[in-house]
Amino acid sequence: MSDFNYELFCKASHANTTSDAGVCAAFERMEGMADGLDTFYLLFAAAFVFFMQTGFAMLCTGSIRRMNAKNIMLKNILDAVVGGALGFWSVSYAFAYGGADSSKKGFIGNTGFFLTDFTTGSELIGWFFQFAFAATAATIVAGTVAERCKFEAYLAYSLMLTGFVYPVVVYLIWSSSGWITALNADPFLGCGMHDFAGSGVVHMIGGMTALIAAKILGPCIGRFTDSAGNHLPEPVSFPPHSAALQVLGTFIMWVGGTASTPALPWPSLEVNLRHAATGSVSALFTDMISNRRKTGEIEYDITMCTNGARSGLVAITARCAVLTPWAAFVTGVVGGWVYIFFSKLLVRLRIEDAVDAIPVHFGNGIWGCIAVGLFAEPSRTANAYSEHGHYGMFYGTGGNLLGAQCAFGILWIIGWVATIMTPYFLLLHTLQIFHVDMIEEEIGLDISHCKGAAYDISGPSKEIVEQFELLRSSYARSHQKDDAGCS
Amino acid sequence: MVHAMVSSRNPNTYLSVYQVCQSITPHHNDITTNSSFSQQEYFDQMLQCIGEANGQSIDTFFLTWAACLVFFMQAGFAMLCAGCVQFKNVQNTMLKNLLDACGAALGFYSVGYAFAFGGSDYDNPSKSFIGTSNFFLIGVEDLTFWLFQFAFAATSTTIVAGTLAERCQMAAYLCYSIVVTGVLYPVVCHAVWSPQGFLNAHNLDPLWGVGVIDFAGSSVVHLTGGSIALVATYALGPRRGRFYDSRGRALENPVEFPGHSPALQVLGAFILWFGWYGFNIGSALTITGPNRHEVISIVAVNTTLAAASACVSALVVQYYLEEKRSGEGSFSLSSAMNGCLGGLVAITGSCGVVEPWAAVITGFVAGLLYLVTSRWLIKLRIDDAVDAIPVHMTNGIWGTLSAGLFASANRLELAFGQTNDIGIFMGGNGTLLGCQIVGILFVIGWVTFVMIPFFYMLNYLGWLRSASVDEVEGLDSRYHKKERRPSSELIRAMSVYGHGNERLRQNIHSYEQGQRQAEHDANRFAAETGRVSGGGGNDLYTVGRRDTGSTDTFEDQQGAMTSQRKLYEQRFTADAGAS
Repeated sequence: MSDFNYELFCKASHANTTSDAGVCAAFERMEGMADGLDTFYLLFAAAFVFFMQTGFAMLCTGSIRRMNAKNIMLKNILDAVVGGALGFWSVSYAFAYGGADSSKKGFIGNTGFFLTDFTTGSELIGWFFQFAFAATAATIVAGTVAERCKFEAYLAYSLMLTGFVYPVVVYLIWSSSGWITALNADPFLGCGMHDFAGSGVVHMIGGMTALIAAKILGPCIGRFTDSAGNHLPEPVSFPPHSAALQVLGTFIMWVGGTASTPALPWPSLEVNLRHAATGSVSALFTDMISNRRKTGEIEYDITMCTNGARSGLVAITARCAVLTPWAAFVTGVVGGWVYIFFSKLLVRLRIEDAVDAIPVHFGNGIWGCIAVGLFAEPSRTANAYSEHGHYGMFYGTGGNLLGAQCAFGILWIIGWVATIMTPYFLLLHTLQIFHVDMIEEEIGLDISHCKGAAYDISGPSKEIVEQFELLRSSYARSHQKDDAGCS
Repeated sequence: MVHAMVSSRNPNTYLSVYQVCQSITPHHNDITTNSSFSQQEYFDQMLQCIGEANGQSIDTFFLTWAACLVFFMQAGFAMLCAGCVQFKNVQNTMLKNLLDACGAALGFYSVGYAFAFGGSDYDNPSKSFIGTSNFFLIGVEDLTFWLFQFAFAATSTTIVAGTLAERCQMAAYLCYSIVVTGVLYPVVCHAVWSPQGFLNAHNLDPLWGVGVIDFAGSSVVHLTGGSIALVATYALGPRRGRFYDSRGRALENPVEFPGHSPALQVLGAFILWFGWYGFNIGSALTITGPNRHEVISIVAVNTTLAAASACVSALVVQYYLEEKRSGEGSFSLSSAMNGCLGGLVAITGSCGVVEPWAAVITGFVAGLLYLVTSRWLIKLRIDDAVDAIPVHMTNGIWGTLSAGLFASANRLELAFGQTNDIGIFMGGNGTLLGCQIVGILFVIGWVTFVMIPFFYMLNYLGWLRSASVDEVEGLDSRYHKKERRPSSELIRAMSVYGHGNERLRQNIHSYEQGQRQAEHDANRFAAETGRVSGGGGNDLYTVGRRDTGSTDTFEDQQGAMTSQRKLYEQRFTADAGAS
């Protein structure tokens, strides 16, 4: 095909003859198809990633107490809107991809603010795809700080995260001129960081921010301490108010996650599904066994099951294209354990996380990145990236990939997020705009901040019910008489 | 060169491949092959046909995918309505939503599609008011297009369901949905989107040389649905107790009827936003055609940006107004959500023809318009349970206008292949804006012309509004079998008044027996295991049940549960101590 020069052949004198015009028309059709298919693919994936917002909203809402339901949903909507769409339109996309060029390396992009430099179809659809990912990174934190974070603080942090912290990491790992990207002409350690769909970029950033925020914000009243401020021997658990919404959210995220691993060969889809299932089952049964040892009874916890599935999905996002199914199975089981380990650790450390976002996104984000270094299968990796000769440790090709994943992927992301977000949250905390008032928290954020309680559960008054029944029974009586008359 | 490698083949090979290809590609233009063709010419025909076949497969898949997303919006509307109505009317509202989709399918299959797109022909400059062929899909080849258009018709119909919720009779709603999908919507659709429509921009001789630019249906779908909602709710009157007290005197402050579940509202809003990507993007109809991928990309970006800026403007301005009025602002979830939907409605008409910055402005204004109209309706004492009129009607108008204001030459060329006139802010001469206004007036005029007599006739026949006692008790009890546990209030009311009805009394008796049995079982379970069985109050709907009386709050229920649990525990420890 390289011999065929469309410009020369079709725009020059040849195009006059009928048969050549036919070839040119066919060529244009093929080109339209190629563009159309590429656009369609990104569009399809991005729409489903966006749909994961629905999943997050439902999961968060279901996982918290009833009195804060409206507040958490409003935060979820604004993540997509303020941080995701408006932030990414104005500055973040320029920071993340502006002026990317694989021949040089840099720290942050600096052209194309307000989408001014991005006008062609492929650039615009790329923006749409990246917007959906940015919204996901922002929304991870919403659940962790639920029930006690002030609205103003939430907006401020959301803008900071998607406006600056997230795009810098994206530039470094996903754009072609970042320091540790695998797409550069001269990648770091000869291979660069492999993060296929964002275990590190999206989930670790979100999870790490959630961790810092939860630590500085402190737990809800009555979770770990009694009213006098003494530590309780057993933390009080606040049960989720709707298991139905939790499961709905998990399934929506599963659908979104399956569609959001772009440009994949089919086997990795299979890996993906299997992985989520494994994570779910692993978490469920491990929890069951540990509970049994503790209390002597077997209980199946739906929360464990849904969170395990989410853990599996998070962990798979980094490596879905480079793993064989058996490796996915092995690491899926570990993923479930990682979730439970982090979850129990957080309770031990008295850090409250209402929706377990930190174990799911931070814990399994790390595990996902490490697993690439261990299990990346040579031929699949070469298909997904390039034949750079550095694959998983278990395939005997040296530790360069593991080094790139750990040293620069994981440590750098943790360090970067901690450097920026810790002072930021501390500042909010010092200014006393981070944690809501005690009385507001006790009464629930819906009543104190969102125009009243979420659920209206009052029924009709007694009088009207009686009136209705009177009417109805008189209908029934007359009806019965009619019946009797007929028979 | 390409031809060099094919010159040694027998031309008949290409001819036969071409013929096979042609037989499976129905819309490929027949090119008369004649015996004097050289092998190169056969080869070219074959290449073009294969390209066409693949392109059509992709386009079909694309449009089917988009149609699925649009259809998924039905789920969004249903959840939104379910969350917005009171618990006692949920079943009724859901059934109306479901029937919308079913009615639209049947109506659009039998006559709707024929009225809207029957006999469409892009090469024919003639114009008509209504299509007259292809009834019952006879002779229609492109069934994917039908699927896509059906989903649009269903959307247009279902907009009204929320507005009329909680007080409209079932029969009236059925009649209405048949009329809309069968006749009313197809006429609008024909005028704006069929190449024979008198407002269509693709017609060879469009209105004033320009035609109406409505990319995905701000006017055709949303303005139509929103106007019907306005007419209908005006004819129907407000919900009992919303603006007037029981003696018909106007209340000083309207009573709010809060929806029973904001979680379902948000679920609905998010599903709608997601579905809107199919709604707007699918309106490009193909994805492999020339420049189509450019159009689709800008549509995706604009849709996102308009929704986002509308959400922010509605939320912030609402906060500001409330703070100014009462001294303390609060963040309103419903403003944010409906603002978002308003922005989506507004960008629907212009998403393919404006630049991203214009989409942000369109969205911003849409959020404000939503707020203003919503307040205005309350002032006029027009009751809209889900705010469908501010979202769909006002922003349908604004979206149609915004194309006349911001359409850029570059985007118009890519999307419509013509730049006869552009947006007035982009240097146009106003013809396009004029056309857009004509489009808006036509839609409102047509809806008023058909629907006002229709609704007043229903009202005259007494089919429109449900009896007020039914309305207060809830339409679920009136129109649907009781699948839920009857309340203790109900039981009491029945045992007092139900003297003459032996069967009713038997039912009550067996129900009470069942209650006693269940209590007994629960006690035994608690005694044996030390745990309280079932009904933990965590289910979404448990609170909504009127099982412990009429005005219990959730806290009361919680308190009742805790004391019950304590009782069980005491019994258990007593039993254990005794044994």
